[in-house]
Amino acid sequence: MEAVLANLREWFQDRKQHLDLFDETKTGKQDDPLYILGDLVWLSWMVVIVSGVLLMLWYIPTTTGAYRSIEHITYDIPFGWLVRGMHKYGADMLITCITLRIYRMYFAGEYKKPGELSWMVLFASLVLGMISGITGYLLIWNQRAFWAAKVVLTVPTYYDEIPVLGNLGLGRATAYIFLGGPAVGQATITRFYAIHFGISVVFVILAEVLFYRTRRRRLSLSPFVILLVLAFLAYVSFERLTDMGRWANPNRTPLPILSDWYFLALYQLVKYMPPLWAGIAPALLIGYGMAVPFMDRTKETRPLERPFFFVVGVMSLLYFIAFTALIILNIAVISRDPPIILAVTIVLMVFAFIWELLYRRRKAARAARAAQAAGPAARPAQPPRPAAA
Amino acid sequence: MKLDRRGLLKILTAIPILGGLIALVSPLFRYLKPNDKPWQIFTIAPDLPAGGAQIVGTTAAVPKPWDFFYFTYVQKYVQYDPTGYKAANIPGVAIRLPEKVKFVNAEGFVGYADKDGKPQDTDIVLFQRICPHLGCIFNFIPDWHEVQIGYGGYVPPAWEKHSLMACPCHLSIYNPSYPGDPGNVISGPAPRGARYFQFELRGDNIVVVGAELGGIAWEPRPDPRADREGDAPRDSA
Repeated sequence: MEAVLANLREWFQDRKQHLDLFDETKTGKQDDPLYILGDLVWLSWMVVIVSGVLLMLWYIPTTTGAYRSIEHITYDIPFGWLVRGMHKYGADMLITCITLRIYRMYFAGEYKKPGELSWMVLFASLVLGMISGITGYLLIWNQRAFWAAKVVLTVPTYYDEIPVLGNLGLGRATAYIFLGGPAVGQATITRFYAIHFGISVVFVILAEVLFYRTRRRRLSLSPFVILLVLAFLAYVSFERLTDMGRWANPNRTPLPILSDWYFLALYQLVKYMPPLWAGIAPALLIGYGMAVPFMDRTKETRPLERPFFFVVGVMSLLYFIAFTALIILNIAVISRDPPIILAVTIVLMVFAFIWELLYRRRKAARAARAAQAAGPAARPAQPPRPAAA
Repeated sequence: MKLDRRGLLKILTAIPILGGLIALVSPLFRYLKPNDKPWQIFTIAPDLPAGGAQIVGTTAAVPKPWDFFYFTYVQKYVQYDPTGYKAANIPGVAIRLPEKVKFVNAEGFVGYADKDGKPQDTDIVLFQRICPHLGCIFNFIPDWHEVQIGYGGYVPPAWEKHSLMACPCHLSIYNPSYPGDPGNVISGPAPRGARYFQFELRGDNIVVVGAELGGIAWEPRPDPRADREGDAPRDSA
């Protein structure tokens, strides 16, 4: 027991040393544009925090005042549109950068030793970013926000139907605690406002502790690039003024109704699945993300040399895009689609598994041949990679 | 793991300390969910909404088969903010069906009964429009073609090609005249049929006297405490 704990502590200390969250100066790939994503995460996060604090000066967190106050910010207050635009598009950029970076780390095998902890923190930050997103857009108190909040917080009530656990009332209690009562109302706005603000405050403090203790840089971009990003965000805010939607109406759900773009694929999934599964599926996805460094035990980092995890990654990307497209086009024949999707998924997973087996067998055979050619005593370890591979 | 005397003593000491910590944390949970009593965090009993009898319309408003009207039934429930009680609307729809049915659903809730609670035949049915799936408000669609066009492309079989109810969020589709279980779900992810109102006909008036629980954000569950609170809308008459 003690030994296990000691091992865990050592593992954690070691990975903490290699925690590469923002500046990515340890990768040695400073000229690769994919490796400014870490800096962009920090930059967009700061944009969101600063603009968010500025928005707080005018925002009124009540069911009657919220919509009006945001309308006021957007159309009446000088440069209010800019602050709100920076907040919204900065947040979109934050989610985009985290997502792209997750895919980069996945396909480049950067979640492998010693990057496990970085990967887990990044993945958790995507989840937290999405929670910030959903708590943030309720604050507008428009139709999209209202129904997103209602749907998302009805999902936990189904956790009480998990067969083996029995009904502990835990799911319902979770929903009530977040909603501040049985339905979306004033208490929900207050609580979401607190969560929305609190997440960033807590994690900014943690990030600052990290910077203080590791002497890592916050941002390794040149001032020109920073200005370029800010100018781009300002331009987008000006060109595509953030819309208001309609005032939330608890008696009417509009058709069609969409969520923010990063929830769309999940939203389509919820249409296809029974509600309990739909509540468990995102948890499984998060679980897969968190556990992937410990499931993929090979040392290979190139995607084609770990076929199974490569196929899973490609599938997640394709499903994300396909489901998003389907929901935007409003296509979902519930009686027809799920069996097809399930069949395709099973076939692809089997294919990936077979590919992985074949690849491993070929690799073993190659290693054996190489060992034979080199002679038994010459070089027992590290067979040379064949040029043809 | 080897358990020596010191380890055992550690564990024995840990139990009261853990208990003390839980006791300390318990009021903190009640900070989040204040209307629970101590140690009753995972109950929904004090959150039961209260309604009462409300006139929602007249039978004259639905003279022909498949005529309908929307209405709202107001319930009060506790909200954890300084305003305390809040009124919440349950949007509903009243429909005249082509033939008489027993207005009882698969969950055993009786929507229209005589004084002894025995289900009676009726051709007027009242559904809560809060989707039992994830709580959006579904619509009554007089023409099923509109369901096909707007709600994902579902084509009902020949015997269901009449007015239907469909939810904009996740495309659950309900058949108000489903044989044996009016309002049952015929397509989509909803786990059950549309919830009922319990109503009476007083002269020309349609009077809602209760609502099947679960309409706001939660499902009812067999909990003896729920009856004791006495706030259940089903009791009101």
